[in-house]
Amino acid sequence: MQFPLTFDDISLWLAITAIILLITAELTSPHYGQVNMLIDKRRLRTTALIMGLLFMVTVAIRIYGIITS
Amino acid sequence: MFSKTPKRKRAASERISGYILALVGTLALIFSIVYVSSILAFIGLGLTFWGALLLYLKHERHVKSKLLDSTALSSLESLSKIIKELDYKGKAIYLPPKYQRDPKSGIVYIPKKEESEIPPVEGISEQKTFSKNPQGICLTPPGLSLTNLFEKELGTNFARTDLAYLQRNMPKLFIENLEIAQDLQIEKENNIVSVTIVDSVYKDFCSEARKLQNICGSIGCPLCSAIACALARATGKTINIEKDETSEDNKTINIQYKILEE
Repeated sequence: MQFPLTFDDISLWLAITAIILLITAELTSPHYGQVNMLIDKRRLRTTALIMGLLFMVTVAIRIYGIITS
Repeated sequence: MFSKTPKRKRAASERISGYILALVGTLALIFSIVYVSSILAFIGLGLTFWGALLLYLKHERHVKSKLLDSTALSSLESLSKIIKELDYKGKAIYLPPKYQRDPKSGIVYIPKKEESEIPPVEGISEQKTFSKNPQGICLTPPGLSLTNLFEKELGTNFARTDLAYLQRNMPKLFIENLEIAQDLQIEKENNIVSVTIVDSVYKDFCSEARKLQNICGSIGCPLCSAIACALARATGKTINIEKDETSEDNKTINIQYKILEE
């Protein structure tokens, strides 16, 4: 029994999720007029940024691995 | 007996969907480990994440602006009647924080006579409604709570800021944080501060308040009053509403505030 996803898989998944959330957060901003979505937009934006940040962390780990190898 | 409203039902169904998604996702993750399947792992990860996200992104409570307008209009109407009955003819003056002890409070002073004179600090007391020297009435501004909400949202005390801070931060507050308006501009020319508000949620309320005597162009509607309170706090000077105009299509509100002391 082992977790089937590799580090790269998780990184890719984080990237795709972050992009989807960031686009959604941006489209719901008042600048685009989609302001009638009844959700806490601040929380959505925070989640999107955290996912993006996590992806950047995985990238940094990968770069560090390449440099030190 | 109260029946569940469709909105409440929708919120409950979304919570249930969130839990179901998270549960199915967790199961898929467990099976992915048992059967070493990356497809199941991706499905599980996705479902768990979106389920958790549905539960985390709570609903914001929205009320129709019509309801808001009807609630606030009658109190403004009473205020207008009281001022008219007591025959206070002067233009309302928003007093800066030096006139009050509590930084969250605010005073709007209406002089008895038409020629408005700035009252001395010692002549005004937060507790007293009527001042004798000079003769006038001290009221709580209709937009005071809104100003306190602005401060809470920005995490600041306007008394510690200046006009430049308001010019920088109020548009973002109005457009993005509170979604009060589509656009807001604050410009200063000599001792006149012009505020332009485009497509405000208060536009209908403003046009209704315009029909009331002693409100528009004096104390102002809650929105105009809130901006006046913010200006008085930020500049530390007395402010009055010089002019209050609405465009023909009722979309743009232009308010001119005068800084009375320089």
